[in-house]
Amino acid sequence: MTGMKQYAQASLMVTDPSSRSMWKQAAAIDLLYVGYGLFIVSLVVLSYILGSLNFLPHNPQEMDLSLLMAPPGVAGHLLGTDFMGRDILSRLIVGIQAYFVPGLLAIAIAITLGTVFGVLAGYRGGGVETAVLYLGNLVDSFPRLVLILLVIAAFKPDIYYIMIIVGLTNVPNVLSQVKGKINFLKQKNFIEAAVALGLKNRVIIFKHILWYNCRSLFIIQATLGMAEVILIETSLSYLGFGVQEPIPSWGNMVQSGANYLLQGKFWLSTTPALAILFTILGFHLLGDGLNNILEGRRST
Amino acid sequence: MRLSFVRPVAQQLFRELALTALLLLGVSFVVFLVLYFSPGDPFSLLLEGQMVTAETQQQLRMALGVPEHWYSQYLFWLGNMVQGNFGTSIRSGLPVLPEIIRVGINTLYLTVGSMVVTLLIAVPIALSPAQRGETPLNWPFTMFAYLVSALPVFWLGYVFIYIFIHQFKLFPILYGYSSERELTPLFFLLPILVLGVGNGTISEVVRHLRDEMSRVLQEDYVRTARAKGASAWRHAFKEGFLIPITEIVAAKIPFILGGAVVVEQVFNWPGMGRLAWQAALDRDYPVIMGIAVVAALFVRFGTLTQRVVYVMVNPRASQERER
Repeated sequence: MTGMKQYAQASLMVTDPSSRSMWKQAAAIDLLYVGYGLFIVSLVVLSYILGSLNFLPHNPQEMDLSLLMAPPGVAGHLLGTDFMGRDILSRLIVGIQAYFVPGLLAIAIAITLGTVFGVLAGYRGGGVETAVLYLGNLVDSFPRLVLILLVIAAFKPDIYYIMIIVGLTNVPNVLSQVKGKINFLKQKNFIEAAVALGLKNRVIIFKHILWYNCRSLFIIQATLGMAEVILIETSLSYLGFGVQEPIPSWGNMVQSGANYLLQGKFWLSTTPALAILFTILGFHLLGDGLNNILEGRRST
Repeated sequence: MRLSFVRPVAQQLFRELALTALLLLGVSFVVFLVLYFSPGDPFSLLLEGQMVTAETQQQLRMALGVPEHWYSQYLFWLGNMVQGNFGTSIRSGLPVLPEIIRVGINTLYLTVGSMVVTLLIAVPIALSPAQRGETPLNWPFTMFAYLVSALPVFWLGYVFIYIFIHQFKLFPILYGYSSERELTPLFFLLPILVLGVGNGTISEVVRHLRDEMSRVLQEDYVRTARAKGASAWRHAFKEGFLIPITEIVAAKIPFILGGAVVVEQVFNWPGMGRLAWQAALDRDYPVIMGIAVVAALFVRFGTLTQRVVYVMVNPRASQERER
């Protein structure tokens, strides 16, 4: 009996995709995507740490009225200064704080709730599934920015309120991914084998479904989620909600610098815009590259 | 058109209409909940700065005809809304619905136009590898789609203003409520272009279309069509092009509406997004609630259209619940 159980256990392990061969078989282009993405992610994390330790080239709030709108490279300001003579590079680094921790909160909400509801819908099925799909459709009916503006009007423009909404609006996305994965896994024998072995539902769901088979999905969703968080946060602080001057955010830096674009002082708004561009690009490419490699989308 | 079309389409249409009605009911409930739990509902706004006891407050509620329980409040509000009474704006004192419809038309032009621009860019990028196989241009085009999708749309707006208005003077410089009477086609073009390029959906449209088209081109029926000398494109058109396009467009409507909020701000465009921004700034609940409901209507209408197209192309689908 124990021998048979061991055999069945071993067969369960076989279905766990061995990640090493996947990385070897990956297309060069996907590795390039992931490499660039990881570079951007580490840059963001490093900058966040440096920013919170206050280890910056200049004081981001310090105004230098003799050096208004200095072009990049002048007097030790690597990316120039803004319309109040503040160092743009330091403000860019500090600007990461506007979205980093709130964004992690949004991602945590999206993945936790999305997984709970996805498992409910996929594993239970029936009436629960219908109810969950209804709720998902309901959340998807609102344009995200409009819902956020509604909450801002009703409560207050606090970044954590906003990020809770961003997290909640991302739930249907994660939910449908988890549900699709479970529907796919249900057709495989190993879940049947696990049920036949008398494993507890808890063990099957947490170990065999979520841990062995949904890990990569969570990482991908978190990465793509961060891209959306940055987009939302910068859009909102551009619109004047969220982080307010003089505290820097990439969005309000673009906004306040845009007036000087027409005078040809392009770096004021262009540097934060490029920071947004390359960071979002990095998260997109990382997510899609991982998706191609770990979920085997390109092999078809 | 064969008659066999009609029944499944009608069935599906009925089912989708019922689902849409249910979802819109849910939407109204969510909007009501946000209002109900907000710290200052319009009623307490009315009493702001006045010393009132709970008892007088209750009597005042009765006198104003505000129902006591939350569910009767909800039904009261819902009943008004179904009759087209969305309340009056706190800021301007005007009824909300006519105002939303007036500016909503402008947003409709903007979103539909930008959707066309997005498709004009994305479709060639998506379909060229399906037709010609991997070409050297394939990778740069895909990269371009990624780059464009990551662009912050507000900055793109300023760059376009700088290039097209400031440098080349191709467009009238005045955007805004003042010149509303002289809306020229030229006036519309620039914001539409900006939102179409910068709404951040191009890479997803490319990806979805390309995956679906290359999958369909490998199906047996397309191979058969090719073997007997018929056009593979014509046979792949419905499943490989029409369905994915309607799917992705319907799925991206909320995104485009969100992008419209930002672009309308950049161009001072008299649309729904700008109205929503103004309402959020003034904490003008009735307006932003009305906009949320109308926007949800937009989104649901898009999904409904997508489902109908799907069933018309593939009548079998009315038997399936989920694809």
